[in-house]
Amino acid sequence: MTGREGPDGRTLVKSLGELPQSIEPPRDLWPTIEARLGGIEAPAPAATAAQSIGRRRSARLRWLAAAAMIASVAVGVWIGRSLLPLPGAVPGARSPASAANDTSAVTGAPTALDAAYVADPRYERQRAELLRSLQTRLAALPPASRAKVMASLETIQRAKEDLERALGRDPGNALLQELLVNTYQDEMRVLTDVREASDPGEGI
Amino acid sequence: MTEAQAGDSRVDWEGALLQRARAGDTRAFERLYREHAGKVYGLCLRMTRDVQLAEDCTQDTFINAWRALAGFETRSSLSTWLHRIAVNVSLAKRRKSSPVEPAPEESEDAPAAWTVETPVEVEEIETAIGALPDGARDALVLHALYGYSHGEAAQMLGIAEGTCKAQLHRARKLLRERLGMEVN
Repeated sequence: MTGREGPDGRTLVKSLGELPQSIEPPRDLWPTIEARLGGIEAPAPAATAAQSIGRRRSARLRWLAAAAMIASVAVGVWIGRSLLPLPGAVPGARSPASAANDTSAVTGAPTALDAAYVADPRYERQRAELLRSLQTRLAALPPASRAKVMASLETIQRAKEDLERALGRDPGNALLQELLVNTYQDEMRVLTDVREASDPGEGI
Repeated sequence: MTEAQAGDSRVDWEGALLQRARAGDTRAFERLYREHAGKVYGLCLRMTRDVQLAEDCTQDTFINAWRALAGFETRSSLSTWLHRIAVNVSLAKRRKSSPVEPAPEESEDAPAAWTVETPVEVEEIETAIGALPDGARDALVLHALYGYSHGEAAQMLGIAEGTCKAQLHRARKLLRERLGMEVN
């Protein structure tokens, strides 16, 4: 403002352009604004908007692929549990002794060994393919990430071995069967994540 | 440092803050708020004539600006962009609380300068401006106080340029009556 002072100390102006454009708010409005900003997603640069759409789409595809993989494991295991016979057994023929010890003979539920050793060929193919490229992909990861992945896979492998041993002793245990399926799914998830993380343009 | 250099330096500084704010840095956005809050609040207060509403409009202006930061082109003035948002927010808030007044006939002519015959106290002239009808006051505030052209003010207000000029004529006539002196 470029106004002049009147005789009583009050500011006089001769043009509207001399009026102050800026008027300070009577209180600090920032704390309320800041609190409201907390609930709003940070603004994304316009230049990367297309990239972020691509990333979202890629993440969605990744999850779909993982979900499909998990589904194929589950379906494979279910098929194995429901339809395929035990190795060495004659379909529909069980010895009275085994039928007495095996609760599945009464309920018609599949045995643990069915679940543990029969898998969908597509799952086997995908797993084998992921394992083939695992070393190369691990080499592309930062050392800290590589160590984490290795530790996870070792833990999963130990869990699988423990569960299979336990199922050997208690083939009808539904909880052990479920845990084994979950462990296979965990392994597939880690392998898929390693593949995605080591692909160009993707990150952990 | 020349005035132009100072202006460039301010723009550079503002550009750096904008870049940080776009990346989600609320501290940088706060500094932009501190720089522009007075002008935004002044505009909102003159458009709404209500302290509480003006505070709400100022807050909404900066919230909307944060949401839209990604779309702001750094080639244009941040101040003008914020004023556009403030005008939209103020008009929307005012529409909720009062009916829209009929627009005057379009005009091809409008006062170029806004001077009074003899110096007037700021408070007196602000009161006279505050008493103007909404449409006339909006056009006057944007054009005579904030220096926007007829076309820019019309665009911000969402009216035809001729209507904006007619509102300015009306504002001059009413100010002349209220201040008891010629307004050129």
